[in-house]
Amino acid sequence: MDKIIRIRKLTKDIPKEARLLCDTMLSELERANRPVLEAVKCALDNSFYNPKVGYLTPGDKKVRTELNVSSVQKMARVIFMLDQLLGMVESNTVRTYREHYYTAKGVVKTDKSKMLKPLDFQSQEECDSVIDFIGDMLEVYREELNCFANDRGGQTYSQQLIVSESLPDGTTATIDLSTLGTSPYQPKNRPQALKLKLKKKVEFCLVVESEGTAGSLVANGMTKRHNCIVMGAQGVPSNGVRGWCKLIQEELKVPMFFFGDLDAYTIQNIYRTLKAGSAASLIRNADFSAPEVHFLGVLPEDVKKYDLFCYDVNEKDPAENRSLKKAKDALQNDPFFHDKKNKRLVSILEWLITNKKRCEQQAFYSVDPNNKTIMEDLIVEKIRRGHYI
Amino acid sequence: MAKQITSSSTAEYFAKNLQQVGFSSPTKAVLTTLKEAVDNSLDACEESGILPDISIVVKKVGAGASKTSDLVEIVVEDNGPGIEQDDLAKVYGEYLASSKFGRGRATRGQQGIGISAATTWAQLTNASGAKVTSKTKGMRKALRAIVDVDIKGNKGLLKHKEMIDWDKPHGVKVEFRIDGRIQLNGDGGLLTYLEGTTLVNPHLKLSYKLMDADWVHIERVSDTVPEIPAATLPHPHTMKLGEFITHAGLYGKIEFGKFLKTGFSRVQDATLKDLIKSGLPKNQMSIPTGKLSQDQLKNVFQIIQKTEMQAPSTRSVLTIGEESLAKSILRLGDVDFFSVVARKPRIADYKPVVVEVALARFLNRGGGDEPIQLLRFANRVPLQFDKAACAITQAVETVNWRAYGLQQSKDSLPIGSFVFAISVVSPFIKFKNASKETIDSSDELVEEIRRALMQAGQKLSRHIRKESKEADLERKIAHIEQFGPILIEYLGKIAGAKEPRKKKAAEGLRKLLGRDAQAAEKDLSEAEVRLAALRDKQRKAGLFDIADYNDEKTLAEGEVAEVIEAEVGDDETTITRTRMNKATEKAVALGKSTGKKTNGDGGVSESPRKLTANSTSKAAGTQTTAKAADVTTTSKAAQATTTKAAGTTAKASK
Repeated sequence: MDKIIRIRKLTKDIPKEARLLCDTMLSELERANRPVLEAVKCALDNSFYNPKVGYLTPGDKKVRTELNVSSVQKMARVIFMLDQLLGMVESNTVRTYREHYYTAKGVVKTDKSKMLKPLDFQSQEECDSVIDFIGDMLEVYREELNCFANDRGGQTYSQQLIVSESLPDGTTATIDLSTLGTSPYQPKNRPQALKLKLKKKVEFCLVVESEGTAGSLVANGMTKRHNCIVMGAQGVPSNGVRGWCKLIQEELKVPMFFFGDLDAYTIQNIYRTLKAGSAASLIRNADFSAPEVHFLGVLPEDVKKYDLFCYDVNEKDPAENRSLKKAKDALQNDPFFHDKKNKRLVSILEWLITNKKRCEQQAFYSVDPNNKTIMEDLIVEKIRRGHYI
Repeated sequence: MAKQITSSSTAEYFAKNLQQVGFSSPTKAVLTTLKEAVDNSLDACEESGILPDISIVVKKVGAGASKTSDLVEIVVEDNGPGIEQDDLAKVYGEYLASSKFGRGRATRGQQGIGISAATTWAQLTNASGAKVTSKTKGMRKALRAIVDVDIKGNKGLLKHKEMIDWDKPHGVKVEFRIDGRIQLNGDGGLLTYLEGTTLVNPHLKLSYKLMDADWVHIERVSDTVPEIPAATLPHPHTMKLGEFITHAGLYGKIEFGKFLKTGFSRVQDATLKDLIKSGLPKNQMSIPTGKLSQDQLKNVFQIIQKTEMQAPSTRSVLTIGEESLAKSILRLGDVDFFSVVARKPRIADYKPVVVEVALARFLNRGGGDEPIQLLRFANRVPLQFDKAACAITQAVETVNWRAYGLQQSKDSLPIGSFVFAISVVSPFIKFKNASKETIDSSDELVEEIRRALMQAGQKLSRHIRKESKEADLERKIAHIEQFGPILIEYLGKIAGAKEPRKKKAAEGLRKLLGRDAQAAEKDLSEAEVRLAALRDKQRKAGLFDIADYNDEKTLAEGEVAEVIEAEVGDDETTITRTRMNKATEKAVALGKSTGKKTNGDGGVSESPRKLTANSTSKAAGTQTTAKAADVTTTSKAAQATTTKAAGTTAKASK
């Protein structure tokens, strides 16, 4: 089996770390002391944001699991799954979360002693949380444990971009995006050894929240009229999308803009995650964030300037009310919004809370229904005039 | 040309609108007829200070006149004072002829409509009214007659009068043959009605035979006839303008000030001064009441409504009492645990009201994942229809039962095999309809019911918490058995440890988790102590407690002892859990015989506890399955046997 490409140069020897951990736990038990598992606390209250660093970093808080009758189940599951993951790492095999879940169920099912039966995972979520805990505990990426998520988002279109991928077998694949016809290039959620090159200098890289809208812009000729890269984020950016944006930013040094809805979910969950990573992936943000990305819109001033159609947030609707609560929560607890560099984003959240409105990215099409390229025109105009954050 | 206007008698009105008073369907007709007859019997007994002894027979005797109904016979016999011949026709055959109408007393019947409506229904559907047998104390023979309603004249008619021998010293037996259908179970069922009536009438001795089932006999658990408090004068804030003017009309020549003081409760000299301060002309106080114009009376009424006054007296309400309610609930079946609360009389909407609540979990009723069974009572009469609109239902649904350990979806009835019995007693209950099926909800009344429920919920939660601690302990012990070996196995596998090391780690693990199990056990005993404290408090307050009953029962079922031991390597024991039944502990400590007698089956007989039908006893003690190598559990439980006699499961005596 080909060697798996690594995201970063890992100084840790995962099997050795795991052996050491288990050895220590066994020694504690021999002395009838309670062994403890510790993992980085991946939550907003342990997140720090420094604009010079560019992404959310973890604080000192740890999630501590001490062995007792209540935690023995979790601990047994963690050590059992650690053994499974080590098996994957040592045999150079990969699995998705779901595949891990079924593999674990298979191990339980085929255990002749039936000892493992109580350990059986009842749902994939139970299994996922154990894998995530192991990553946070060893402070390694789950990708470094050969566990990968499904590919989602990152569909990229450009007439200028050429991607060279070094493959595990030693060969190199070169992909000229202009030759892919209507198909996009899509980055994978597993590590890839990629090099980027431009045929001509590009003006900007545009990341669009809606994959459909990105596709329309390209189909209507945006990448032909402008030297640019257009990418669909497909909602909250996956690790693959975040890593891919970081690579574009670092290798091509092109201005990058994010264009999405004007609502709290987009600003906090999508844009903030793309730019600074997330609280849930504190240990991975260094390699999975693009700190230079700008928020192009939709901005409240766009709503005013173009008289864009907005939806009223219905406070009686639990889902919509949650979005308002989310905005308030972001202002209170998210360190990203506490930084003065992000004051303008804060003012957008405040605008959303005060006006109880939301505006979708596609509303730009309502500005001039007769103009087939109105969305493209407005986006380009906004970039040229510096109407972004 | 205008049509001629005619007037109708009250009986004519009701004969055409029987659905308004509970005769809207064949099943409701049977229930309402039974209910009206039993209410009359109970009220009559209580008025005369007699402990009621009522027997009921309901059976199908043929096909009904209409396609969808049967001919149903309902017989209710009591040991009440009996009815004089002159009154017989009025009671059963005349509408609005009542000894209780408008008297402001917390009696079951109020207006004198119900039983006459039953007679009318019998007459309309079977062409014959009520067959009544009555004997008063002074009569040598009983009078038997058919009472019909003269619908045109709203009069009762006695037919086929005869004097017969009756071995009862006094009482009434009333027989109806009506078109109807018999529904036994469910919210509108006869059994639900009889159960409810049994619950809120601890002094009632009841025997009944429904359809082809055997006779069921339920003994009384209280020998005190509830004294229905005397009526109090009306409170001016509870009246409407029209009532106020009519009331004033009764005091024609009496000075107006005197009328206010003598015609109402809570109006004193100080109140009159307050009314004058609020704008009532002082000279009006000395004018004869009859000389005041309607406008003047209206003005007085408005001033009264605006003036703050002392709340009405609460002396006119009657309570069942926590002790009686507690004893009574045991008559409904095999109770696991219960909680009763009798609130002090309060004022809600300017009306005196008393709320009493009994919450009980039964061993043999309902499914664990179904909503609780809600029994509602107004003036000790079960309310069986239109549950959703009732103030009682609203109060139950708005209490957060999750806080007391019960499952509940938002604004719904809680889930579990519980019976919630809630009684509201007041001389002025406001019903939503004439058939008295639903109590109208006001914020104050709902809040008063909620308070009673929350008090009862707090008591209940002690039991539930103890159970959850027990479950917690079992779960923790199971965790040690299940996950400990896996943890050791995989730690050893990854660390590359050999067997002796794994074995030593396993010993260490058991020691650690054994400590945790002991801590959980401590939690359990603390919960038990809290529960015991509650019971002590109840006992000190003279309240009957299920614990007394259960202790006694478990003792009789045999000593229950559970000893869990976990052997760890060379150490003798690291986990030792001994759970003995409190009664057993007591018995062991005292070294005394429990004085129990076993019956021939190896079971045990206990004193008859005046139990209701269909009660069965629960096997005592839980047997924990444990892995022999690690944990052993011993449990000895003997199941009590039940003896059936004439359809009644009775627990025999010590």
